[in-house]
Amino acid sequence: MKTVLTIFRKELIDSLRDRRTLVTMIVIPLLLFPVLIGISSRILISQARKAQEKVLSIALISHGNAPEFRQLLREREDVNLIEDMSSDDAQERIRIDSLDALIVFERDFDRRIDEMRPGTITFYFKSAEENEIEKDRILYLLDGFEDRLRSDRFRRLNLDEAVLQTLSIDERNLATAKERLAEVMGGFLPYLFIIFCFMGSMYPAIDLAAGEKERGTLETLLTAPAGRFQILVGKFGVVVLTGICSAAISILGMYIGIKQVHEIPPELLTMLLSILEVKSIVLLLSLLLPLTVFFAAILLSLSIYSKSFKEAQSIISPMMIVVVVPAFIGLMPGMKLTATTALVPILNVSLATKSIIAGTIKAGLLVEVYLSLVFFAVLSILGCAKIFTRESTIFR
Amino acid sequence: MIVIEDLWKTFKLSRQQMKKRVDRRSDGKIDAVAGISFMCMPGRVFTLLGPNGAGKTTTLRMIATLLRPTSGTIKVDGIDVVKRPQEARRKLGFLTGTTKLYERLTPVELVKYYADLHGMDREKFEKRKNDLFSLLDMHEFANWRIGKLSTGMKQKVSIVRTIIHDPEIVVFDEPTVGLDVITAKHIIELIRNCRKEGKTVIFSTHIMGEVSLISDDLAIIHNGRLRFLGAYKDFQARMKSESLEEEFIHLVQEGRA
Repeated sequence: MKTVLTIFRKELIDSLRDRRTLVTMIVIPLLLFPVLIGISSRILISQARKAQEKVLSIALISHGNAPEFRQLLREREDVNLIEDMSSDDAQERIRIDSLDALIVFERDFDRRIDEMRPGTITFYFKSAEENEIEKDRILYLLDGFEDRLRSDRFRRLNLDEAVLQTLSIDERNLATAKERLAEVMGGFLPYLFIIFCFMGSMYPAIDLAAGEKERGTLETLLTAPAGRFQILVGKFGVVVLTGICSAAISILGMYIGIKQVHEIPPELLTMLLSILEVKSIVLLLSLLLPLTVFFAAILLSLSIYSKSFKEAQSIISPMMIVVVVPAFIGLMPGMKLTATTALVPILNVSLATKSIIAGTIKAGLLVEVYLSLVFFAVLSILGCAKIFTRESTIFR
Repeated sequence: MIVIEDLWKTFKLSRQQMKKRVDRRSDGKIDAVAGISFMCMPGRVFTLLGPNGAGKTTTLRMIATLLRPTSGTIKVDGIDVVKRPQEARRKLGFLTGTTKLYERLTPVELVKYYADLHGMDREKFEKRKNDLFSLLDMHEFANWRIGKLSTGMKQKVSIVRTIIHDPEIVVFDEPTVGLDVITAKHIIELIRNCRKEGKTVIFSTHIMGEVSLISDDLAIIHNGRLRFLGAYKDFQARMKSESLEEEFIHLVQEGRA
């Protein structure tokens, strides 16, 4: 044990003095969430504000119909009404984003309304996600106009508007705020945590095996009175530690991100902070630990096999896809933690994390996830140990 | 003391290697070391001389427990290196010309690391470290990062790393390869000191000049087989050629024939 600790301590010092390890283990996980949350919320808020405050340019072809609607648009300070434009010209300008909308009333609109028939309005717009708010603002004006027409019609018929309402649906969603949030963010968070575990382990694994081989220090280490398994365990410990630290630091980064962005609505903020409860974090890390052991063993095996740092990088980099795919499947709607999915490494962590965030994790399935992860972790360690004791691999 | 009996090491060749090696066996394997036996005595320097690819490094790597012999036995101070490798390693110091160091550590940290692996207690380590650092004039850069040291400084660190635990047997695998004259002199000095201290020293080289400088016993190896084994004095006495180089070439060619 003393030998293992000696190796572990030295490898840790060595790794912590490596800039690449520090960047992937501490800097990126710590900064990613604050930057992501900060930038995305600022962009969203500023875009929304811009869209809300923007003066809308609306072309109107009314054919002399609906003077009250024309008046309504004229009176609004947030609308720039253009009335002397042809339909083709207006449509072209909408396409090139120099006009927000065109509203065309059919020629006999007023007559049809008088005859208690529907009047047709054609609404031209160009909608992409970023100007959805502008479209909604115009629809809101049209809805208001429709409400006025309906009220007039009911008044002429001497009817109460309430007769139209035959059904009153009172929706009550029994899902907790955490559960609702888990559906939205629950898939995304484990995806990131899994990536961080992998990335945090990657550089130390490459450096401590292939790097050491390339630098020619492994041969010397192997002549010291330490068993190969002891050497492996010492190195392994550092790789696991950096991976798990990377994930833990990313959680810390998330907390900092939430704290530093002031524009998050208080309700959402409360929900996010509830994810960062000690119990959830402990459960998350306890899942990530065996997963990191599994990653570390595979990464070290590939790294030991490689002749050089470069070769290890080129072998290990595509591994990222192998990690991303099951983690991504866990993001898909409808994917749930079941007796079967609990057995698939990476996917099971992704789905279990989702359930942990939702607060709906079942003890039986959680145990199954742990057992599966421990099984794969032990299997990968044994494989790694076998590779490390093979002469042809060490002196490849 | 090192005792080697009927030592063999066979490597399986890759397809690419098979195309290149004409000396391979029909089963696609090659005997890097083919049944060699010798003894290295304490207080004497045993030199393993041979051309590149003769089997010197493979032999020394087997002594240092880096490679496992295909057959035969190696005993260091009576310890079988195959059966009790960790115990054998406690007795050994191993230095090669290509030995590299952990560049992100300082000389003190590196030497302490190896001392810890050898189970040295703190007091003994401090004394030995200070003695060796003084002897090699290393105190000035003792706490610098190794990556910032010159080649000569690094070689001094390597030397201290090799003998910090005061090994009874020291294995030098072409230790002067690629070194400048001054640094190479340090190594030769170290070998002489080890002999003076009564250590068993085995030293491999393909540089003839070094053989005459420090050898007590000599083994000439070629194609994994010994072409000569005995005291260096005896070798000199029975030399048919005028120089060591010529005698060596003569022996190697005899082996080919």
